[in-house]
Amino acid sequence: MTEFALLQAVFIPLLLSPAAYLVGRRYGTGAAMWVAFGTLLYSTALVVAAAAQGGAEERYPWTSHFGEFGMLLDGLASPFAIMIYVLCTILALYSRPYMVHKFREQFAEERGITVSHGGHSGLEGQEGLDEYVRAKSGLYYALYMVFSMGMLGTVLATNLIEFYVFFEFMLVPGFFLVALWGDGPRRRIGLMFLFWTHAGAVVLLLGFLMIGLTAGGFDFEAVRAADIPPDIALVSAVAIAVGLGVKLAVFMFHVWLPYVHGSAPTPISALLSPAMIGIGAYGIFRLIVELLPGAFADMAIWLHVWGIATMIYGGAMALMQDDVKRLLAYSSISQMGYLLFGIGSGSVLGMAGAEMMYVTHALGKGLLFMTAGILIVRAGTRSLTRLGGLAGKMPVTAVCAVIGALTIAGVPPTSGFMGEWLLFYGALETALEEGSTLRAVTFGLGLLATALTMSYMLWMLKRIFFGKTPEHLSHARDPGWHMKAPMMVLAGFTVVLGIYPDIFLAGIVPYMGGVLGA
Amino acid sequence: MATEAIGGDPALAWLVWVLPFAGALVIPAVARLRGSPAGYAAVGVALASALCAASLLPGALGGAEVHHQVSWIAAVGLDAGVLADPLSVIMANVVAWISLLIVIYSTGYMRGERDYVRFWFWMLFFIGSMQLIVLSDNLLQVFFGWEGVGLASYGLISFWYRDKKKDHVGTEGRTVLGMLDYYSPTHAGMKAFVMTKIGDIMMLAGMFLIFAYAGTFGFRELVAETAWAAEMSAAGLLVPAFVLLFGGAVGKSAQFPLNEWLLEAMTGPTAVSALIHAATMVKAGVFLVARIGPIVFALGAAGLLADQFFEIVAWTGAITALLLATQGMVNREIKKVLAYSTGSQIGYMMMALGVAGLSHQYADGYTAGFFHLVSHAMFKASLFMAAGSLLHVVGSRFMDQMGGLRDRMRKTHAFMWAAGLGLMGAPFITTGFWSKDAIFAAVYESGGWWATPLFAIAVLTAVITAFYTMRMIGMVFYGPKSAHAQEADKAGLLHEAPLSMWAPYGILAVLTIGIGIIGLSAEEGLHHLFDEYLVHTFGIHSAHGEPSGLPGFLSALNPAALGASLVAFGAGAGLGYIFYVARWADPARVVGSNPLFRGVHALFLNRWYINAAIYWCFVAAPLWVSRAVYRYFERTAVDHGMNIGLERAAGWGARVVQGTQTGVSQSYLFVFGAGILFVVMVLVI
Repeated sequence: MTEFALLQAVFIPLLLSPAAYLVGRRYGTGAAMWVAFGTLLYSTALVVAAAAQGGAEERYPWTSHFGEFGMLLDGLASPFAIMIYVLCTILALYSRPYMVHKFREQFAEERGITVSHGGHSGLEGQEGLDEYVRAKSGLYYALYMVFSMGMLGTVLATNLIEFYVFFEFMLVPGFFLVALWGDGPRRRIGLMFLFWTHAGAVVLLLGFLMIGLTAGGFDFEAVRAADIPPDIALVSAVAIAVGLGVKLAVFMFHVWLPYVHGSAPTPISALLSPAMIGIGAYGIFRLIVELLPGAFADMAIWLHVWGIATMIYGGAMALMQDDVKRLLAYSSISQMGYLLFGIGSGSVLGMAGAEMMYVTHALGKGLLFMTAGILIVRAGTRSLTRLGGLAGKMPVTAVCAVIGALTIAGVPPTSGFMGEWLLFYGALETALEEGSTLRAVTFGLGLLATALTMSYMLWMLKRIFFGKTPEHLSHARDPGWHMKAPMMVLAGFTVVLGIYPDIFLAGIVPYMGGVLGA
Repeated sequence: MATEAIGGDPALAWLVWVLPFAGALVIPAVARLRGSPAGYAAVGVALASALCAASLLPGALGGAEVHHQVSWIAAVGLDAGVLADPLSVIMANVVAWISLLIVIYSTGYMRGERDYVRFWFWMLFFIGSMQLIVLSDNLLQVFFGWEGVGLASYGLISFWYRDKKKDHVGTEGRTVLGMLDYYSPTHAGMKAFVMTKIGDIMMLAGMFLIFAYAGTFGFRELVAETAWAAEMSAAGLLVPAFVLLFGGAVGKSAQFPLNEWLLEAMTGPTAVSALIHAATMVKAGVFLVARIGPIVFALGAAGLLADQFFEIVAWTGAITALLLATQGMVNREIKKVLAYSTGSQIGYMMMALGVAGLSHQYADGYTAGFFHLVSHAMFKASLFMAAGSLLHVVGSRFMDQMGGLRDRMRKTHAFMWAAGLGLMGAPFITTGFWSKDAIFAAVYESGGWWATPLFAIAVLTAVITAFYTMRMIGMVFYGPKSAHAQEADKAGLLHEAPLSMWAPYGILAVLTIGIGIIGLSAEEGLHHLFDEYLVHTFGIHSAHGEPSGLPGFLSALNPAALGASLVAFGAGAGLGYIFYVARWADPARVVGSNPLFRGVHALFLNRWYINAAIYWCFVAAPLWVSRAVYRYFERTAVDHGMNIGLERAAGWGARVVQGTQTGVSQSYLFVFGAGILFVVMVLVI
């Protein structure tokens, strides 16, 4: 195994981010893209190689107050880590056409040039356009790489403080990416993002301090070994759940998400939604289920009910959206409800299903947000009422979007079904074991919620791709390979995983079994 | 990896369903080749799959079974496998050969159509999914095929996704209880997918319940050891679990109350309708009941009574059979009449499979239901394909825009008669007669309080079936040509379909009569095979009925059932003949003659108001609730309250804090002291 593989995977993107900036400024968007893509590809390869060998663990000395700076890639972390980096890598390609489109739009806005939609022909030959796009591209890719690094670091951390540092670290570039290149009132929405998730993180930190100080150490191992009094464990577990709940955007903490996903530049939405918010679920597994099992046993039913409320609420709100990206945002809320529902089931297969749902959601929602980006660039609108009949105009996009929607709706042979059946089976298993009527009811409601999911997904597809094509879309076409290739990768992966889920399940199920002592 | 292969090569059983999927995947590449050979490639794939299925036949008819498993989801300890026993092999052959004919027909029907790649992809995907259902050895794998046919039907029902007017079904502008009765293809596809999803949800719940107790999804494993069933029965979950599984069949097979998607499914190309109705999709539900029925019945023999399951199956079938038949009598659209007819006939099959479990002669009802599935597959595929030819030629889906076509389309006319007679159950010469008669006998002989009402429903449905079939043939081929047909005639459009189209439905029409003539011995052969199969695999010994005392070859028949069959055919077909073929009376005048008839006619035409009620309760109401919650809770309370409220509060807080920055050190010290006091108090407490 490569030495320092995980350390490299996390920090090389950070260290090379200034390079992306400089290369972008000097040699243009393409060069910056290749720097980011190459770096992330290398890091992804390291992570995948380590996971393929059954995981890895690295420890480095840190300050004596906090403990060790460790990195652990085990059955729980591998699927998260792989999905995060795979998405980051392929979205580096996808970003290029989208962001160039966005930079040109902002350039025109800043200079007060009005251009007709489509080719931006009015912009060609404008003084300073080229430098403008180059500078912005450099900055974009630099932030992008830091953002990626923050997400990976979080899921590999083996120490509470380390976890917190990475958790907050991904917020900073996230904020700038939204505030600089978002749509609509982007600074305000960027602040909203910062405020909400930061507030959540502070509550999280309070929980961390409580258990860390009680346990006498912040290393996960120390916490696990320590005998934490049940009431302190419960209070800190609730604090952690609330802190992570904001990240997950579960019901009542979801306020920020439709704004941020709706406004963020689409490649970033495609990272925020599929990769970032699910890290909240990772946190619940790692910090509550694994570290505070006693508190988890008390909380499980509440997480379960909170999950079902989120599933149904998010789905019902998704039905009401006209903006594609907001619809997908509400769908993400609903999907995070599935994750929470599975975690709350408290059974091995239910929790394994929840983790599969993260993977599945990453694939499906990644595809759909990419579709939304293509609509913005190629059709010039994201309003469902102004779309329609695009299946014939952009067949590749349509096929990928359908596969994405089916993944979210949990239709075999996409990976969605592999997540869903385990999830719901696990929920039923616990209901039968405990003889709990409440759990039986949530199981039934959960299954019905899948019909809701399917309804809003199919309805969205119908309004984008089927029916009559409006006049203004007559020139819409499939995008170039930068945007197509990433989608095809994800679409292929979701089908492969749907037929052969052992790729991830082989690691996940034993881990869950170990944690639950089954 | 466990292998158990007697009487056949398991590879061939795998290939039956793998080949169509593989074909679907390569079709897009093949279509790029010169001369667009996609259609021929699809025919080749379907033929190869059918030959694989046929190769399994000798072993299966000898009572052998091929069961082969490979490791699948090792993390959960699940295997994938094929199970080729007599039931699945016969079913696989029905599916394969009828699909092959439909694929051949499609090469003519879809000629000149855009997007044929998509069409062939979904057709092959459809066939593959169905064969996956048929040949799987466990429920989870069945569910893959189950959703696969749902997905394929979604893709094919909304095939004409541009939603042009000519591709809609229903009458434009017509509403029932305020709900439009006029559907675009993409709406219909969605409706089919979501509505069957409700059934799928029930099926999943049932599967999970069984898995939770049995720890297996395998059909053979469920029979091998039945301690799980005793546990479930003690918990009161045995019957609910199987009824939930049956819920999946209700959705896929378009049984009441999930029957409404089937009508709108007519927006798909007619070849697709034929596939859905004859070989795939709706037959999947019947097949599932045939798969799990013996398991439940064998449990009953072991002392775990599950009669309610069979009662529910039988009554669902009976209600559907009558409900849909009544609607078939009044519809104007030829494809919808056939669709109603399918749902109704499937109801017969369910009824037979249900009453089988309620009697001591399980094999009787079981064979009757399955035999009806086979005979229905033949004549319904033929009728649909013939209807597709008519649509092609006339350019209208409405029967009242046809009329008098018999001299222009002689072959179609003859074949439609033959297949139609099958549907009507014309005595002694059609497969439909024998299978329907067997169902009547099974119902009649089942004993118990339900036998009489079910028998009455079955016979009444048979009368109606004969009537609407005759009506369809009469309206299309007899009487004067309608104005629309005359126009088409003038334009020289009215002519026979090409060979690739009429041959497939011709073959099936001929088979309906051909097998019908030897129908009784065919049925007895099947009965014998299933009897052995049930004894051998499930330990179900069926009692054998006494000879009826009727003379000659009729001695095997039940006299009451035979009499009822004859009377039902005579009454229904006779009335249909009078009104629509000979046209001795005007049906419109009869209906209009009194308010009762008018009311009943409206009830039937408006689909018993079930469709509209479903739309109100499950589409309009949830949307209304969602809208209200979105407007008054999400936008107002959550968004404005929390987001903007917090923002304002933060601004206010900032001003307050600014106010405290007085620069007076005394007040700073005071607050500082109070703070320390507070912390100390907290720590002490």
